[in-house]
Amino acid sequence: MENQEVAQKIQEVAKKLLSEGKVSCVIGFEKGTVPMRERPFFAYTPEEAERLTWTSFCCNNLANFLVRRDLGEAGKVAVVAQGCVSRNIVGLIKENQISREQVFVIGVPSPGMLDRRKVQAEVGAEKVITEVSEDGEDLIVKGKGFEERVPRKKVMRDNCYTCVQRNPVIVDELIGAETEPTHGGNIDKVSAPWEKLQADDRWAEFAENYQTCIRCYACRDACPLCYCHVCFVDEAQPQWCGKTQDESDVLTYHVLRAFHCAGRCTDCGACESACPMGIKVRRLTSKIEKDIREMYGYQAGMDLESKPPMSVYRPDDPQEFIK
Amino acid sequence: MKNILEYVGIEPDRLHFSWISSAEAEKFQKTATQVCEAVRALGPAQHMIKDIRKVA
Amino acid sequence: MSDTSNFQPRIAAFLCNWCSYGAADLAGVSRLQYPPLVQTIRIPCTGRMSPKFILQAFRKGVDGVWVSG
Repeated sequence: MENQEVAQKIQEVAKKLLSEGKVSCVIGFEKGTVPMRERPFFAYTPEEAERLTWTSFCCNNLANFLVRRDLGEAGKVAVVAQGCVSRNIVGLIKENQISREQVFVIGVPSPGMLDRRKVQAEVGAEKVITEVSEDGEDLIVKGKGFEERVPRKKVMRDNCYTCVQRNPVIVDELIGAETEPTHGGNIDKVSAPWEKLQADDRWAEFAENYQTCIRCYACRDACPLCYCHVCFVDEAQPQWCGKTQDESDVLTYHVLRAFHCAGRCTDCGACESACPMGIKVRRLTSKIEKDIREMYGYQAGMDLESKPPMSVYRPDDPQEFIK
Repeated sequence: MKNILEYVGIEPDRLHFSWISSAEAEKFQKTATQVCEAVRALGPAQHMIKDIRKVA
Repeated sequence: MSDTSNFQPRIAAFLCNWCSYGAADLAGVSRLQYPPLVQTIRIPCTGRMSPKFILQAFRKGVDGVWVSG
């Protein structure tokens, strides 16, 4: 199904839900002020629902907004969710942040989201893109004095390329038909790029990757797992992590942030899309995701029943590292 | 934790975990010696240290 | 790092009050010799341990961390 049709269907469903009073709010996307920057949108009335859209640049993870306290008081909310977002909703339900009755999941099989930076690189960094539209497996990029067709496959986000669950895992209303579960990339091959390096080179790569970090915490704020009211980086007594851009502070932040996502991360890529500096934030989280998969045979948010491995004890938990 | 530190390039022998009951003084002595030797062999830590001299 | 034989590492040892701290105590009472490089931090239980502690220790410049329950 084309994205335009999906957007129409989302609007129809949202209008119906809002006018019947089944939900107080529909969380989706609206068109951004510049191309390829679709932004989260909260529709409270059927009229507002007409602004809802769906394109291949809906990169934010909408599960993020479900833990907002004002929404908890608002009663039932509907949220547009593709595979990874639905997995994060499952995660939030498991962690008792929301209840299943509280959310209405408008499921959309993911088309594979695209990376606006890759699109820009494809047409040339100096060119100003004024319009982007989709035509099947191609993207039509327009700007002053140029028009180019870019194949979607070429500009897909890294995490979408290796996606393992494009279809939503929990659904109240599915839009379109379920698709192939993967995009063909092999997650095991790319998830831990530094594994083959020697210790010193690893450190060099690691430090270089995060060198440009400006500590804006966009990766944390975009992440549906990071809902603590006081984050460890904001704690001052004791101060776990200095507030400078010194290498040790930046790297401490990234290691701990990644570690907090262990066994919970669904590899939705929201952190990487949110980063204003274009840092490959997933280099750490995808490694942890792989470790959890290999050590505990667990993938976050795939169903409502299984227990998260980091919060339960089992006698057969891996323990080779303990003397 | 050990996995991730190793992944970013901190030598795995810098971090040790062990189980010792309160009655196992000898195991404690043995493990303490092992840990010290392992770290001694690696030399001083190079990474992750917040160097005040560099920051200020 | 030129001469590792003389190098005296600093090691932060996080010891559980009920297990390894007791073992350390017993080792002392029994006059068992072990290297003086281990700087003990008593934690109420190994469950109190957090990855933050390990990173904080490394940030403050220790050469090794030992967690024992």
